[in-house]
Amino acid sequence: MYLTVRDATKIYGNFTALDRVSIGIDQGEFVCLLGPSGCGKTTLLRLIAGLTELDGGEITLEGADLSQLPARKRGFGIVFQSYSLFPNMTVAENIGYGLKIRGAAKTEISVRVAELLELVKLPQVADKMPGQLSGGQQQRIALARAIAVDPRVLLLDEPLSALDAKVRATLRDEIRQVQRALGIPTLMVTHDQEEALALADKIICMNHGVVVQAGTPEDLYHRPATRFVAEFMGISNLLSPEEVDRLFPNLLATRPASGKPQLACIRPEQINIAKSVDGAATVRSISFLGNLRRLEVDSPVGMLTVETHGANPCRAGERVRLHVSPEACTWVDDDGDLAEAVPT
Amino acid sequence: MSLQEQAPARAGRALFDFDRLLTLVCVGLPLLGLILFFAYPMLIVFLRSITVGDSFGLGNYAEVLSSSGFWRATRHSLIMGGATTLLSVLLGFVIAHGLYRCAFPGKWLIRGIIVLPLLAPSLVQALGLIFLLGRNGVISRALGVEIEIYGFWGLLIANTLYALPQAVMIIGAALVLLDARTYEAADVMGASSWRQFRDLTIPSARFGIMNAGFVCFTITITDFGNAAVIGGDYSVLATEIYSQVVGQRNFNMGAVVGIMLLLPTVLSYAIERQAMKRQQAGQATGQVPYHPSFAPFRDLSMAALSLLICACIVAVIGIVVYASFVALWPYNMSLSPKHYDITLAGGYSSLWITILISLAAAAGGTVAVFLLGLGLRRLPQALAQPIQILAAMPAAVPGMVLGLAYILTFNSTATPLYLLYGTAALIGIVNFYHYHTQAFLTALTGFRQLPAALEEAAGSLGAGLGRTARDIVAPFIAPMLVSVFFFLFMRSMVTLSAVVFLTTPELSVAAVTIMRLDDAGLTSQAAAFSTCVMAVVCVAVLSMKFTLALMRQRGESGETA
Repeated sequence: MYLTVRDATKIYGNFTALDRVSIGIDQGEFVCLLGPSGCGKTTLLRLIAGLTELDGGEITLEGADLSQLPARKRGFGIVFQSYSLFPNMTVAENIGYGLKIRGAAKTEISVRVAELLELVKLPQVADKMPGQLSGGQQQRIALARAIAVDPRVLLLDEPLSALDAKVRATLRDEIRQVQRALGIPTLMVTHDQEEALALADKIICMNHGVVVQAGTPEDLYHRPATRFVAEFMGISNLLSPEEVDRLFPNLLATRPASGKPQLACIRPEQINIAKSVDGAATVRSISFLGNLRRLEVDSPVGMLTVETHGANPCRAGERVRLHVSPEACTWVDDDGDLAEAVPT
Repeated sequence: MSLQEQAPARAGRALFDFDRLLTLVCVGLPLLGLILFFAYPMLIVFLRSITVGDSFGLGNYAEVLSSSGFWRATRHSLIMGGATTLLSVLLGFVIAHGLYRCAFPGKWLIRGIIVLPLLAPSLVQALGLIFLLGRNGVISRALGVEIEIYGFWGLLIANTLYALPQAVMIIGAALVLLDARTYEAADVMGASSWRQFRDLTIPSARFGIMNAGFVCFTITITDFGNAAVIGGDYSVLATEIYSQVVGQRNFNMGAVVGIMLLLPTVLSYAIERQAMKRQQAGQATGQVPYHPSFAPFRDLSMAALSLLICACIVAVIGIVVYASFVALWPYNMSLSPKHYDITLAGGYSSLWITILISLAAAAGGTVAVFLLGLGLRRLPQALAQPIQILAAMPAAVPGMVLGLAYILTFNSTATPLYLLYGTAALIGIVNFYHYHTQAFLTALTGFRQLPAALEEAAGSLGAGLGRTARDIVAPFIAPMLVSVFFFLFMRSMVTLSAVVFLTTPELSVAAVTIMRLDDAGLTSQAAAFSTCVMAVVCVAVLSMKFTLALMRQRGESGETA
């Protein structure tokens, strides 16, 4: 591992913000810290940045301990949700500030600034003040400012959350491109699972100050370890073994032997739906979402959510038959809301 | 665990961090100042109040409490404080309501006039009243009646005029908190404008009114200038301290009266701070400012009332300026500049020295509160909190008490601090610490608006504390620092209460000179000298407005150009 966090702990009064959290980032890797607000993800990022002090554990970069190194000596780049450009400096001065601190020559700085403005696709704004730019533009400049000094690690603290949907999608792709192009190991904090799925090589899902599951986006979506992860990573139908027995008995065989309470997690798009007069379930409502339809289906064990692509298979009020193939079902630990499950 | 594993951690810990040291200096220097020039003198004044002969005891208190003079002064102070508070809050509400909740033209004029009393030493109101209503006053002579202006009524009017700007500002600040959407919602629900006034405006201003009350009360019972000039036989606690110390050279008794004066001001200040916190808690972000539409009855009556009050202020201050040019009041009313030739020993030297002292107090004070604010942001809360409380304490101490504390502390050869006694530096210092709270809180407001992410961004780019302070923090809070600088300058120019004890025959300040001129019967020269002080302060106000406008313009051109 390039950057390693081991047993990081942070306590505020009676509140344990982080409880012995261990994560790692590889060279060139894009890692997302994902979780609901208050889960400790931002605290972890700030600890890594050196903006908050550790109460326990250690952080190492290429084997060297960072714990006692102040933020300004870590050589990391950071982008905040609030853009945080220096309002008294032009765009070019903002981007060049890190280089100026490092004593770079004026010409060198201006060459680098021009280069970075090209990279973030804003070559014409060098002499503007931050207040003259849109939110999306400001965040691009903030990104350029962070990578200007060739940071050893790039830290992104919810960089897209303050932007509107369209800008968010474009900038998301650009961040990914820039990160790929430069190969900077990157850690991004987000509460948006879609963002994490689209960007990350690895997602670290957190809740209540601990890591619940870490893995590739595919892993977390299709093979969630706990109920919390399943629910956080998109919509899922969670059924108890008894309910599975009544509804989809063919799935029971997939259940691993475990002493813990478990639930079957079935994603809405994994349920096959077919009109059938003797079907056990009834379609309650259909929402048309453009590329897909979301159906609320009344089954003998309660409401299920089903998603279909293409032609509309049925109408509200019609009886249907549901089918799930065994490989589409994952069993997750039922950690309730507390997510006390042990990290994988 | 092997030794190799431990080594890097230990090396890291041993690393010398220059920023930590700098933080300590940032907090340490202003803190040392606060201790040396505020906490320590206050301790001394307390110790002196319980010093009887060579030992400690409550004898002084017993003596003071048994003297009828003290009780009379206390009664007068409380009655005067209460009456002034009622009157200035009432009038202040009328003007604030007119300014922020009514629609009529010419508000800029009212805004400008209402702050005039702040630009002059407090005794100018008293001088103005004497020129208007005194035995030789314009009004008394025109009406042919003899009004006894010295005493309760004169002092009440002078104090009210002096407290009014504060009341207007505080109540106004509370009124603007209630935003347009609330009134729009009330409109849609069918509430009449009277109901809106009763159900929305008044409740929202409740804390403001309470606050204004406490501030006016404190200002009044601690003011010395007005009481000295127009109080006549109506002795109050502030004049009582003065007569104990300067008149009878009875320092310990002065200290006792000072401590007694401290009680109500500390209490009122503590309550006011609590009320302020509650008001701030109710504050919402993203406000939509209210733009009242014209309602003839409400607006015309409010405008008329406001103008009437403003006319009184203009009359009282204007008459001082006018009188300074009158050849021989009231017998020869032709205009002449001869009173500007100050005959009192020293002439204008005290004006020049006051300007220098004020500049120094303003510059030093601005730097001090900037450093303190900068450092406090980087201290753990548990450490920052007590320092913050100490920094906000001087406002609870009346100027007279602080001045007395200084004379007791610095006129004693017990410590090397004695070297400061009788120097202009000490007057600058007392001025700064007298107004430390307001300066500090203003700077703190600026620091609160500074997003932590800006400093963090600079830090992660590699900027140390010094660099961040210079490149990021100082430019960001520059407008607040400008306000602090001019606030300290203006207060230092006009303050009388704290410095009255620290001037010597060789070293006087403007406000004290005005008092001496008035004492010597040279009222017209006192008026002339007051006019000069007001001119200097007006120039300062205009410079401040100009600087702030320039800054705003530069900021805006950055946003729109």
